[in-house]
Amino acid sequence: MSFGDYIRQARLARQQTDKGYSLRQVAGRVGVEPAYLSKIERDVFPPPSEQMIVNLAADLGEDPDVLLALAGKLSSELREIIVRRPQLFAELIRQLKDAPDHAILRMVREVTDGDW
Amino acid sequence: MIELNANQLVFRFPEVHPQAVCRVNFQRTLRIPDDNREYALPPGLGRFPLEHVEDHAKSLPGDYQKRGGVMLPMYQAEALWISFTGAGDYPFLLKIAAGKINAVTGEPWQDAVSDTPQDYIVTPDQPWLDGFCIQKGLIRQFVAMPLGSGYTAEEQLTGAAEFGGLQIIAYPMKRERYEAIKAREVNACRSRSMDSFMCADMAMAPGMGMAPGGLMKQTIHKDKHGLDAWDLSQSSRCFVHLLNSQQWRQVTGSQPPCKPPTARDYTAAGLPWFEHYAEGKQALDGSEVLAGLDSVAVKGIKQGETPLPDNDPLQIGKVINLGSAKPSVSEGDW
Repeated sequence: MSFGDYIRQARLARQQTDKGYSLRQVAGRVGVEPAYLSKIERDVFPPPSEQMIVNLAADLGEDPDVLLALAGKLSSELREIIVRRPQLFAELIRQLKDAPDHAILRMVREVTDGDW
Repeated sequence: MIELNANQLVFRFPEVHPQAVCRVNFQRTLRIPDDNREYALPPGLGRFPLEHVEDHAKSLPGDYQKRGGVMLPMYQAEALWISFTGAGDYPFLLKIAAGKINAVTGEPWQDAVSDTPQDYIVTPDQPWLDGFCIQKGLIRQFVAMPLGSGYTAEEQLTGAAEFGGLQIIAYPMKRERYEAIKAREVNACRSRSMDSFMCADMAMAPGMGMAPGGLMKQTIHKDKHGLDAWDLSQSSRCFVHLLNSQQWRQVTGSQPPCKPPTARDYTAAGLPWFEHYAEGKQALDGSEVLAGLDSVAVKGIKQGETPLPDNDPLQIGKVINLGSAKPSVSEGDW
């Protein structure tokens, strides 16, 4: 699915239960012209900037990392992390590319729960 | 398991269902006047920063390490609300406490769940929680006060200033129950975000706890699924420590967020407040125990103190209706 299709479907799904998700109102909240958002939704224009994608994700209740990936972008935060130790992270990502989700989740640092 | 990601607690239960993920964050906000008038929902001014407690073990008292969890910075008399709006569509049962006092019932903390009376909230039906549930459709705002000063709900109810902070335990819905839910609707809850406003040692003083502040119109929804919908064999819980701004600087070496604007300044700038109607959802009655607590302003009068600056009554102009929050997952016919 393209970035535009995904955004349009997400917005229309929300509009079914909340009129505040019209093209005009979403565009207003994220700070763009309705015509511009319409062209993004129809893939006439390429996906917008990282910040605009993050704003759209927040407004539509979507995961910004998923939207950025659909747009073929990497968040500046992730880029910064990788650039700091490029060899290590490049190798890590290659190693993990075929690992099942549960194996990757096992590596995630957990918030500790103690005695209270 | 709980992960800390982008200042958000992410509760995951991959062993229950791949979609069993619940995201919780803590929003900076205005403190509404504590004057017994009922106010609309204030905005979210961005997430509080969260850090793992064990990353600062050397600078924190032993109690913090023993309890584990995360910590966030608050100014004295600053308010907070808890956001579940990024929670996704997998239903969760969440118990929330302040100083180990249940924010829905006023009862002492227990990991176990009760539905008589209901001592929990259900996401994604409940998009946020701003305070202690004192009666149907009405809460008293969470306001941070120093432990030991007598204002917190914990101190008023137990006489002790032992825990402070916030406590959360999450239980996912049973996999088969989730999968049996047929019709899917999307979450209609819009963000209350106003991000544009974002601008120790072992003898460390006690941290902060939550005291009941001003009155706010907010409904705590009754569980429409019933207790048997929840997988009570699976849970994750987290202690959220509240450090004052000075402690935060000492412990982390970083600056806390700037102070939020006052409710008066915010309103005078013509910025909006919010209201939220959840049609068709039943509301909990609220807790008589919590309703009997002194608000910060009342307690201040009793103690001969003035704990709340900028507490004059406020005339709110612009209120945005956030509509009715349709559930993101509805039950079909089964």
